[in-house]
Amino acid sequence: MGPLYKRPICVLSGFTVPWLVLVSPSWLSLSGVGPCWAVLWLLPWALEDGWVSGMIAGFFLGILLDAISLGGATYVPALVALGWWWGKLGRRSPLLEGSLNLGLLAWIGSAVVGLSLGAQFLVKEFGESIFWLLHWSFLTLLSQSIVTGLVAPIIASLLLLLWRRKRPIPFLEKTRLRKFARNRKK
Amino acid sequence: MGGPHWAGRIRLKNLGRLLPLLIFGGGLFLVRLTKGAVFLDTYAFLSRPFWPGPAQKEWLRNGFSIEQQTKLRLLEQDNRRLRVLLALKKSSSARQISAAVISRQTQGWWHQLEIGKGQLAGISADDPVLGPGGLLGRIQSVTPTTARVRLLTSPSSRIGVWVPRTGRHGLLVGMGTSRTKLVFLDKGSSALPGDVVSTSPASTLLPPNLPVGVIQSLNNQVPLEPQAVVQLIATPAAVDWVQVQLR
Repeated sequence: MGPLYKRPICVLSGFTVPWLVLVSPSWLSLSGVGPCWAVLWLLPWALEDGWVSGMIAGFFLGILLDAISLGGATYVPALVALGWWWGKLGRRSPLLEGSLNLGLLAWIGSAVVGLSLGAQFLVKEFGESIFWLLHWSFLTLLSQSIVTGLVAPIIASLLLLLWRRKRPIPFLEKTRLRKFARNRKK
Repeated sequence: MGGPHWAGRIRLKNLGRLLPLLIFGGGLFLVRLTKGAVFLDTYAFLSRPFWPGPAQKEWLRNGFSIEQQTKLRLLEQDNRRLRVLLALKKSSSARQISAAVISRQTQGWWHQLEIGKGQLAGISADDPVLGPGGLLGRIQSVTPTTARVRLLTSPSSRIGVWVPRTGRHGLLVGMGTSRTKLVFLDKGSSALPGDVVSTSPASTLLPPNLPVGVIQSLNNQVPLEPQAVVQLIATPAAVDWVQVQLR
């Protein structure tokens, strides 16, 4: 687990996620569906702080989001899985902060969250409305993942930079980064 | 040799005389082509100060509104008296409180509103929430100062309704879109597109006779359970204030 969780400001920034969900600015939406704020926050956190911290953050964030939503489906499994995956990914390749990479990861993450929620709704409401529910789930998933993927390069990059600044880079990691950059030039 | 020069001068002179006439005719032709647009627009521009002002329009609207309100009051009195006679649940005696919408999610995974009044104002779970035009949803949970509304469009929303024209009951099911599905409980629905859907007059959970929506299309292909698509009257996406009917 990285040192981000020790910084109160970094932990408190997670509480902005439910606020942003509640505000849900209409100008930042596609077909009335806003971005998946949880993914936008969790992605840089897990990339920076590792898979254990990512999973824990995903779990708490999921609980927080479940508290402000109607219920019937939970965010927790998808966010925990994403926290684990992104945490592993961040450790393997330290230069993932490229805009395109972040956008792609956020897009996949939002789709995973959407698939998880949609599947839960479908299982719960299984019946004659299945066609309508599939249609609705697909549209929501598509809109949300597109918006999240478009917004991620800005928000996730900023958060990543901010947290990089808050956390001094260890010597070993620095040398690894330099080596990686040198190999890339070659 | 001099003849043609002289004749040419006369022809030019005539053309010079005819030119204003030609221009005028051309102008008229243009007016004809544009169907008098210039005239009408100029007339509208010049006569704008003399158009009937908003005061008169407002006055007429107020008059109509007062007339409608009076009629409604009389009908409600009648309705209350008859319901007492039939020993049914009272409809309009319940207290209504207004609350501002502080957060809305009308599309996406959750179809919910957060309103700025809660337990302290007397709101409790399952209270019906009304918007301009009709029923919007029901209170799902409350905090001391806020309440969460489950919209009728939410996939987990189910309420009992009926079609007043035919007197048939049904179940209104949310589908995640702006429209809802009405599943009739009887085989022959005999409903038609355009029929109004309201809460049941015999309902114990919801206040009776609240307008909910209008049937948009019917699907009679499911013989045992005819279905209809219902367009809701109250649109949550555009509502800033709601009324909570305390039970």
